[in-house]
Amino acid sequence: MTEKVLSLDNVVKRFGGFAAVDDLSFSVERGEILGFLGPNGAGKTTTLRMILDIIPPTSGAISVLGSSSAIPVRHRIGYLPEERGLYRKMRAADTIAYFAKLRGVPGRAARKKANDLLERFGLKDFARSKNEALSKGMAQKVQLLSTIAHEPELLILDEPFSGLDPLNQATLEDLIRELKREGRTIIFSTHVMQHAERLCDRFLIIAKGKKRFDGDIKEARASFPPRLIIRTTDNIDRLRHAPGVKRITPIDGAAGAETDYEIGLAPGADPQVVLKAAFEAGIRLSRFEHASATLHDIFVALAGDKGAAELEAPSEEAA
Amino acid sequence: MRSVLLIAWREYRQYIFSRGFLLFLIMFPISVIFVGAVVGFLEHAKPARTYVVVDQTGRFAGAIAEEIEWRWKRSVVSAWDAYVAMVVDERAIEEGLIAEPFAPGTVSRARLRVFFEKGLDAARAAIAPYLSESAPPFVEPRRQFLRLPLPDEVAAAPTVEAAASLLRPYLLDDKRLPGADRPLFAAIIIPEGFSAAKDAPTAEFWSRNLTDTALESAVSSALDYALQREAVAALGFSTDDLEAVASLEGPLASFRPDKEDADAKLSLKDHIETTLPAAMTYMLLVVIFGVGNLLLTNTIEERSNKIVEVLLSSVTANELMLGKLIGIGAVGLTMPTIFVFGGLIATFAAGGGEWTGAAVSALFGSNLLAVYLFYFFCAYVIFAMIFLAIGAMSNSLQDAQSYMGPVMLIVFLPLPFMIMVYQNPNGLIASILTWIPIYTPYAVMMRAVSDPPLWEIVGATALMLAFAAVFVRAMGRIFKSAILQGSPPKARDVWRLLRGDAR
Repeated sequence: MTEKVLSLDNVVKRFGGFAAVDDLSFSVERGEILGFLGPNGAGKTTTLRMILDIIPPTSGAISVLGSSSAIPVRHRIGYLPEERGLYRKMRAADTIAYFAKLRGVPGRAARKKANDLLERFGLKDFARSKNEALSKGMAQKVQLLSTIAHEPELLILDEPFSGLDPLNQATLEDLIRELKREGRTIIFSTHVMQHAERLCDRFLIIAKGKKRFDGDIKEARASFPPRLIIRTTDNIDRLRHAPGVKRITPIDGAAGAETDYEIGLAPGADPQVVLKAAFEAGIRLSRFEHASATLHDIFVALAGDKGAAELEAPSEEAA
Repeated sequence: MRSVLLIAWREYRQYIFSRGFLLFLIMFPISVIFVGAVVGFLEHAKPARTYVVVDQTGRFAGAIAEEIEWRWKRSVVSAWDAYVAMVVDERAIEEGLIAEPFAPGTVSRARLRVFFEKGLDAARAAIAPYLSESAPPFVEPRRQFLRLPLPDEVAAAPTVEAAASLLRPYLLDDKRLPGADRPLFAAIIIPEGFSAAKDAPTAEFWSRNLTDTALESAVSSALDYALQREAVAALGFSTDDLEAVASLEGPLASFRPDKEDADAKLSLKDHIETTLPAAMTYMLLVVIFGVGNLLLTNTIEERSNKIVEVLLSSVTANELMLGKLIGIGAVGLTMPTIFVFGGLIATFAAGGGEWTGAAVSALFGSNLLAVYLFYFFCAYVIFAMIFLAIGAMSNSLQDAQSYMGPVMLIVFLPLPFMIMVYQNPNGLIASILTWIPIYTPYAVMMRAVSDPPLWEIVGATALMLAFAAVFVRAMGRIFKSAILQGSPPKARDVWRLLRGDAR
């Protein structure tokens, strides 16, 4: 039986009359990686702060590691906020050890752990350097190592990849996978959908404080209307009435006299029927592609107002 | 509590173990010794200032020379007294083993006369049995002034104006007096007819140096004394009579009515006890000002560097505030503690054993220190919370400036009234300040040794504690609400923050 590490039930957070988080419910199971996605101002950081009991919810219930507040279990949680910094005059190893000690690790063990982590992540030579002397990437690593030095069960990473070069992004991806293998539960928010698609078991997309999607990538794709990309020089008006076609939209991409079109299909529609209809109508195709929705497409569609409307009204007929 | 202490220790370490602070601690005593040594050396190495006297009366040049000589002798005996206090076994002085006039004491004309009649060799012999082994030899102060003979043409000048005109080139260093290797420092002209009479001509003191008034003062005293001697002689008394009258002192001792007869006489400890409140209040102001700046910059750094959110995921806002208050408060107390103990040790080492003992007794021999520390702590918490709240609302020192003006005004507002409280500790001003909660600590500290009415102190303290509880809670709310806001809140948002409404 799976164990819920975190659950939110009908959580609302209001600032004056503004609802930053509106009736949000979701849960995270032990050992999974949840991608917490949403556009800027969606309410992600407010939700994470409520989970950590940095700010209280206006209403609703939050359970973290079996506790109704994160405060009694905070030593079992690691949090890397989106806006993060370091004490400029503190040394790298001291910083990691300090935060580990604040999260309950005994002094000597904290210092050893700090040095071990710095060595493992290629920063051994900078252990005695002051944070102000580190490059941005190095400082990011120190921040991340400060978050995991106390070996938390639940890791909350808010935009962990921002500021890292591609090599360090790959290192961080490996670290997140390793932490998962060790059985840790990870929630991370990001704007880089490729990272989320590669790493996450499940996604939670919120916009304007409301939940827009909660499930894995297959469920997301299944709930997202299938589409075809075709390229032709001919008039395609006759395809608009083919079975399963909801809409046809010209898109950029083709060169010369050819034009690319995106054909939105009804859920369960067979693309071969559309191909057959094109032949029967005498439309010559130089490209015919059944395109699965990427997480980026799904995010843009679900998090944006237009996509949300589409999700809410999937049976809209083609023009 | 572990988290609170960890935060406090980090804050403390950050400042106390910084290179700047350690350097200051090392440099401060070195600087004091260096400056003292340089000033002493320069004073010692300073060449004697030269002067000439044009005495058309023929009666006062000798008096001036006498006065300057007397002043030099007085400086020798004062230096001797300081030397004896430093190098001679304290018991030998207390038990009167050193013969008069060589034991430290009042520097009167009579003592000076006897001292120099017997001479410095006799003085050295008198203290020799009680000298510590490492005692340096006594070096007598150099003479400050050297009288030079008048050039013939000046001596022959018929009028004061002519003499002054002839001396001007020497004073401006356009000419040098015969045998002089430096410019003439001053010229004193005493005109014919100079006396104490109202319409008599005045004596004149000419010098380019208007700031070094030592010679002018000596000349003025010499003329006064000479005129007084003439006056008493006219009344039929001798100079000795004048000196005897001038050296009369009316013995007066101060007593405290609140002490038993045996202890009622005002002692050095009593004097220190009465000065202590002012010193402690001053220290409180200095600490609050210094610590306030530390708290402010430190909180602004955590806010602007985005460290605070990581901290708040590890500790509660209350733990963070408490840790900062303890850590920075300890920083504020470290420097005065070092200076107080360093000063006591230095005073003791310099032979001020009696003073050190009285100061230690005043500090630790009663519950005064506990009273001071209690009110010190209350004032610190009240004002420190203001700085924490301002720091939480500011992304930069520039943001903080708009709040700091009124706050500093409030902090330093009681300063002018503190003199009144010091002079009249149970007066109206003292009572009013005692009942204003943010000034209660200052006022009670100033009044502590003056037996203020108990009900007043208890009542005002209860009011202050109630105020502090509400105030700390309110400032804490502002801190917690503002510290995580992306952009710094405006002054008009303070009410919203007081309600704990974070954005």
